[in-house]
Amino acid sequence: MKRRLALLFALIAFVVSVILWLPRPAPPIEAILPARELRIGIDPSNPPFAFSQADVLTGLDIDLAEALAAEIGVPSRYVLLGFDGLYDALKVGQVDIVIAALTVDPARFGLARYSQPYFNAGMLLISAAARPIERMADVSGRRLALEFGSEADAEARRWLRRVQPFTLQPYEQPSHALDAARIGEADAALTDALTARLYLREHPDWQTNAAYVTVLPLAIASHADRGDLAVAIDRAMTALFADGTIDAIIIKWL
Amino acid sequence: MLINFRTPQPEWGKIVARALRWLVRIALLWTLITAFKPAPPRAPLMPPQTVETTQPRLCLHTRLIDEVDEWKIQRSLIMARELGARTIVEFFPWAYIEGARGQYYWGQADRIIRHAQNQGLRVIARMGYVPAWARGDTREALTTLNTLPPAVYADFAAFVAAFAARYAGTVDQIIIWNEPNLAFEWGYQAVDPAGYARLLQAVYAPAHAANPNVVILAAGLAPTLEPRGSPHGLDDLLYLDDLYAAGAGAYFDALAVHTYGFTQPPDAAPAPDRVNFRRAELLRDIMTRYGDDAPVYITETGWNDHPRWTLAVRPSQRIAYTLGAFEWMEAHWDWVDALCVWMFRTPAATFSYPDYFTLVGVDFQPKPIYAALQAYARGQVSDQPLWLPPP
Repeated sequence: MKRRLALLFALIAFVVSVILWLPRPAPPIEAILPARELRIGIDPSNPPFAFSQADVLTGLDIDLAEALAAEIGVPSRYVLLGFDGLYDALKVGQVDIVIAALTVDPARFGLARYSQPYFNAGMLLISAAARPIERMADVSGRRLALEFGSEADAEARRWLRRVQPFTLQPYEQPSHALDAARIGEADAALTDALTARLYLREHPDWQTNAAYVTVLPLAIASHADRGDLAVAIDRAMTALFADGTIDAIIIKWL
Repeated sequence: MLINFRTPQPEWGKIVARALRWLVRIALLWTLITAFKPAPPRAPLMPPQTVETTQPRLCLHTRLIDEVDEWKIQRSLIMARELGARTIVEFFPWAYIEGARGQYYWGQADRIIRHAQNQGLRVIARMGYVPAWARGDTREALTTLNTLPPAVYADFAAFVAAFAARYAGTVDQIIIWNEPNLAFEWGYQAVDPAGYARLLQAVYAPAHAANPNVVILAAGLAPTLEPRGSPHGLDDLLYLDDLYAAGAGAYFDALAVHTYGFTQPPDAAPAPDRVNFRRAELLRDIMTRYGDDAPVYITETGWNDHPRWTLAVRPSQRIAYTLGAFEWMEAHWDWVDALCVWMFRTPAATFSYPDYFTLVGVDFQPKPIYAALQAYARGQVSDQPLWLPPP
């Protein structure tokens, strides 16, 4: 008797697990976006993510927004905002999502849900492929070029307190720092990923080793109370990653 | 049979013994609780400090109200004094202090003001952020911390008066609200200069009754070119004109001004269709036109050195322009009481361009602009190059 009961419970547990494990069917789009459009909060002052070119809104975030809306199957509508107003716009329902090179910010978890990241905007250590430097500890005893007063400058000074000394070579422009690493006047350059990628596009012949020193994931924010929308965004993102759309957008701009 | 009709007497010895046992247990529990309680933050006051500076109008906008650790408040204010700033502007949100109607929590404000006094710093207080109980029925419409229904202007005024009374003689400059010419700062409603004039009117008399020496500052307006009817806001010049036309001039003692250089140097000429550092002169012209010679406090200024933001400059330019702004004020603006750099530090990073307005990192690591301002305030001029020539 006991054995039969145990088997029965095991069977019930198995069936319940399978039911829970099965993907929940997506609710109809009318339930997720009653206006049948995706209202996207954008900060148009942040190239190459979003900016105006001849009065036309363009950029990486705009391409991503268009791809996302198409994948979900609704038209897009942009709401232009300053950075200060992005989360408030989400809060009062002026926008459905925010795509504005947003970093995942734990302090906002009460208000916002973030999608899977679409780009790592962290700091990159760039060195010649022939003499690769993989991490900041290996910069010790070498020359590190960076932009004076930049976040890379601050990051390098933090590392100077933690590893054996290295020589800081500050330049007025980040491109000068990368030039120094390219022509051998420095052993490496430290700069943010966007600056590095934009520079390397202009110097395709330079064979480099690029290693992330910091991680700064960029993601899409939706309202914390709109779980179905967040799931829909993430599903669309997964599909756009799978078919190479997001990689193509990033390569187009960076 | 003997029947004892007496009430049974308590056995006092046992009761006392039991009570003693419980006392010992409670004492042990108390000892354990206090042993595991984290130590209180250590930020003892220093001997009273004074600011040494050659630029007494140098001021910093801080953001200390969100600091959890008292030592970070103190560290910030020590660094502000060491930089040579005589004044700070700090935000004291209504929502943080009067979370329930009539119940005030002054702990954090007291901490900030106590340490600022200890460092010899003058504090200009900015008021804003509406508590949930004052925002109206949130079931009818979503609200933000900036949603201030006219029905609660008197409540806000009562809060300002309570603040003015508590810190009279210590904090004598109070800014009413922030950038009301932006829709999002006005609770995502259409901006309304006449409405803001009524807010100033509601606050003015109670604040002066609470502290006769208080200086009520009309809010700094966001420098913007938004035309009339824009859902985002209204041009600051038009807004200030409307504000005076609505009769607000009688309800503030000084004007707070926000003026940013963005991509232009500090001496770039102002124009109504241009947003730059000297736009403050156009605001001053409007004051003069209305016969108002009240002082101006520039409570936000600065340049941003984000790598790509369209309104940013390079870090080296940011230093040169910021120092140039102080030189411009010295040469031309005797009507300015303080020039406050936005901003000293934030408690947490935004990981976007607002971080590039700060003078020190979240970890208190000074940026080169901090050192440059400090040298300027000390009257030190160096011709040593700060960076290498291009390779």
